[in-house]
Amino acid sequence: MTENTLTLISFALTMMVFSYLLGDLPLIRHLYRIAVYIFIGMSAAFTLIVGYENLLLPYWQDAQNPAISWTALGSQADIVVFGTALLFTALLLLKPVTRLGWLTNSILAVVVALGAAVGIVGALRGTLLPLLSATASLPVLDAELGALLESLLVLLGTMTALYSFHYQASSSGEGTSFGLGKAFRSIGKACVVVALGAIYAAAILSSMTILTERIAFLFQFGA
Amino acid sequence: MKGWRTVGASIAAITGFLVGFTALLSLLLGDNPALFGDDPQAEALAQNLALPGAALLRLLVIMLALSIVIGIANLLLLHARRMAGGRLMSGILLASFAAAIGWRILLPGEVSLLEAIQLPIESALAALLCLTLVAGGARILTKRSDIWGLLLVLVVVVVLLGSLPFPELAPIAAFSDWLMRIPAQAGARAILLGIALGSVVVGARALLGQDRSLRG
Repeated sequence: MTENTLTLISFALTMMVFSYLLGDLPLIRHLYRIAVYIFIGMSAAFTLIVGYENLLLPYWQDAQNPAISWTALGSQADIVVFGTALLFTALLLLKPVTRLGWLTNSILAVVVALGAAVGIVGALRGTLLPLLSATASLPVLDAELGALLESLLVLLGTMTALYSFHYQASSSGEGTSFGLGKAFRSIGKACVVVALGAIYAAAILSSMTILTERIAFLFQFGA
Repeated sequence: MKGWRTVGASIAAITGFLVGFTALLSLLLGDNPALFGDDPQAEALAQNLALPGAALLRLLVIMLALSIVIGIANLLLLHARRMAGGRLMSGILLASFAAAIGWRILLPGEVSLLEAIQLPIESALAALLCLTLVAGGARILTKRSDIWGLLLVLVVVVVLLGSLPFPELAPIAAFSDWLMRIPAQAGARAILLGIALGSVVVGARALLGQDRSLRG
């Protein structure tokens, strides 16, 4: 396919997606849906290709290679791990058979428990410990006053925001609130709202950059 | 029947607990020779402790990859049935899937189809997101006109204005920078800490077999 044909296809698909902005007009509304269905089909194909070429195939080749071992127990153990994964996945297909519920649920439990273990380790090592140490580490007292003040403000903001989560969770159903607690809750909530606003603005900025790129492409094609 | 179901749920819960706890201990404590103090074999012991975690993690990754394959097969079967029922859109989906796979088999390494079809649709959809987000921001003001909705929109406007390269807007840019450095950072840290604490609690519930989906 020539480059011009590919550019023409890109142009047509971009226009088809942008036809969404015209609303629910007859015929036009199908253009957006066609583009989305093409996108889903292509995405499924590329996911399959990436999953096969970058995960399954290299793992299988590694398992057969005696020089490489994931488990340090030799390639025989790797083949056993690969075979077990294949067997477990095949058994998961028997989920609709109610008599084998104990078996499929046990395999599902293995997957869920492994996911939970990875999640716990990731949350502890990747988020909780680094963030807690970053929040609690204040600059030394002889450092610049501005930096010390900023660190204290971030610490205060984080604590009040966490307090506002806790306050909301425990106060549902009861309307009593104390002055200091309410003030802490308001400061914390303000910090959370500012963070969400900043994230929202960043998302708008990113999508605006892509929008300008697409509009530039359309103009470039027209010229 | 109910008794069998309880036994089945117990088997699933015990299996999940044993495997999950082994993986958790191995991932947390493995590859850390300091745990074994001055033992001359500390290095080897730490590596041995990391072995079950590595093997189980590999098992999980392969199973997830295979699950994706099964999920895609299910999607294709569903749309094949719909196409047989006369739905043209499902036919388009299947044709685009077949075209991408065929392209990959016939022209390995060639990415022009990805650049001509996948990227333009993805970019156009992401560009549409900009308009949707702006419309959503305007809707916040009409639907939720309290102080928090107003603050959210105000922060969005300040950050957007602060990102413009006009010297006249330097004070707004400085204020936006302060907002990002102090309150936004504090809020984001609290949100992340909340997510992490939630993940740990949900993970612990799953490990202890409290997850409803495993009870059969």
